[in-house]
Amino acid sequence: MARTRAILKALAVAYRRDQRSLESVAGNNFFIVTALLLRDAGGFIYLLIGLVLLFPLSTDPLRKIPASRLALWPIETGERRLLRLLSPWVNPVSWAIAGLGVWAARGKLTFGLWGAVAGVFVATFLLSDLRYTPGRAVWVRVPRFPGRWNQLIRKNLREIVSTLDFYCALLMSLGALVCRAMRLPLPPQFSLAITVLVVLALSSYTQCLFGLDGAGGLARYRLLPLRGWEVLAAKDVAFLVVAIPLTLPLAPLAGVAAALTALAMGHAPSVNRPRPQSRWRFSTGAGVVSGLLHAIFMATAASSVYLSSSLYLLPVMAVWAASTWHFGRRLEAPAAE
Amino acid sequence: MIAARNLTRRFVDFVAVNRITLDIAKGAVCVLLGPNGAGKSTTLKMLTGLLPLTSGSITVCGLDVTANPRELKRRIGVLPEDLGLFDDLTVDEHLLLTGAVYGLSKKEIRMRAGQLLHALSLEHGRLTFAGACSHGMRKKTAFAMALLPSPQALFLDEPFEAIDPVTSKIMRDLLVAAARRGVTVFLTSHILSVVDQIATQVVMIRKGKIVWNSPPGDLPQSLEQHYFDLVETPVVEELKWLGPARS
Repeated sequence: MARTRAILKALAVAYRRDQRSLESVAGNNFFIVTALLLRDAGGFIYLLIGLVLLFPLSTDPLRKIPASRLALWPIETGERRLLRLLSPWVNPVSWAIAGLGVWAARGKLTFGLWGAVAGVFVATFLLSDLRYTPGRAVWVRVPRFPGRWNQLIRKNLREIVSTLDFYCALLMSLGALVCRAMRLPLPPQFSLAITVLVVLALSSYTQCLFGLDGAGGLARYRLLPLRGWEVLAAKDVAFLVVAIPLTLPLAPLAGVAAALTALAMGHAPSVNRPRPQSRWRFSTGAGVVSGLLHAIFMATAASSVYLSSSLYLLPVMAVWAASTWHFGRRLEAPAAE
Repeated sequence: MIAARNLTRRFVDFVAVNRITLDIAKGAVCVLLGPNGAGKSTTLKMLTGLLPLTSGSITVCGLDVTANPRELKRRIGVLPEDLGLFDDLTVDEHLLLTGAVYGLSKKEIRMRAGQLLHALSLEHGRLTFAGACSHGMRKKTAFAMALLPSPQALFLDEPFEAIDPVTSKIMRDLLVAAARRGVTVFLTSHILSVVDQIATQVVMIRKGKIVWNSPPGDLPQSLEQHYFDLVETPVVEELKWLGPARS
């Protein structure tokens, strides 16, 4: 029992340290804005958030122990079974599901909703125990691009689709598309509002553009004979390749304006304070103030283009180009370490 | 080809590299030896422009490293300490990226990449993402990236560590062949036997200072013994709790 207790204790420490989902949500532009500004209208959005958040939180804590290590430890079969039985309770979501079960039993929650939540949790829990990465093979098939940035853009695309921001934006875009297809009565400016929300959901990524490249990736950028603006532009092209199709059923030009604004503002934190980013988590933005400013400027740019004139895209593009050039030069400077 | 004068790098109060002066001729294979933390990787990072100097000057391929960083990058190949690979690119894509960025034609890139993948036994894993590769495969990929643009100087940080013996031999042969064609090779290593086989210049570093610099033929004793005498003496601690020693 002492051995099982020691392993569970270590597991709890490792699990707690890796559990960055809630932290990343706290610094994510989309969540900051929905939490502060859309409290009244955000019911549907919160449901989406809850669903998307459940996936990364529903992992099997026992995965934290490398399979070879677990096999090498001198633990008895009974202890192994006990570990298997108790380790799910290291995950706080297990306790939350159990709590919801009690609520359902008392009639404060429908069994259907509880079953759906528990089902998603159990399915994700079991899937997380499969020690392979099925998505990798699919990602080989990202489109090719002309020019010498081809592989960089493809890599950046793969990075974007391995953050949860993309899936949040995708759900919203698909939701809007369904509303349109069903000819539901929609409020005026629906397209503009959802366009801004879609780009907002993606925008935290622009503040940690190098988060998934790691230290090795940053070193490689500095070794390649590329200008800094080229590295940033390859990142930005990948972002636009994702953002534009998602806003196509809504207000595409306004979407471009919002995306370019997000990128122009995101270069500074990405280059000056590069932060590591985990896969299958929401991107962590640069903070509450920065998130709100991002939202305000993006909404201003998008609404100017949508409501006044497409010509407003020109100053937005000029600002983006200036930002790319300026922070590209910063990127070329050797790392101070 | 490579000239460093009074090279110094300070991290707050810690002096990682202390007034190093070094000359490496064209076509030489210079190996920098030293224990962990002696300043090997810091020196290599400064020579390749990855780390700014606290003081001193460096010329590589006739270029001042600080004044011409972009032109320098076009002329050198580097295998950095952390390998500098992207988890989201396959082995093959890393080579295609390198070739395209260095301005090679598609045909030339395919030809060179194919030869390197074959030589380094990477063909079977060419479609594997770097994030899913073994450490050895990652190192071989980074090595291939350093060679692919046909650089004038190669800088390699511990290239032979974690590499199987056959690939290690192939890498050694490739480096010697490159040196014969006039490529200057600067590498750091802990594997003294490899150093013995390929080095034309041996430099030993201890606590950020050079304590030996000569061709291997000028060493007064075996490389290993000289290293132990000058750089680091092995300390043998008897672990009595492992049990009584057998006679």
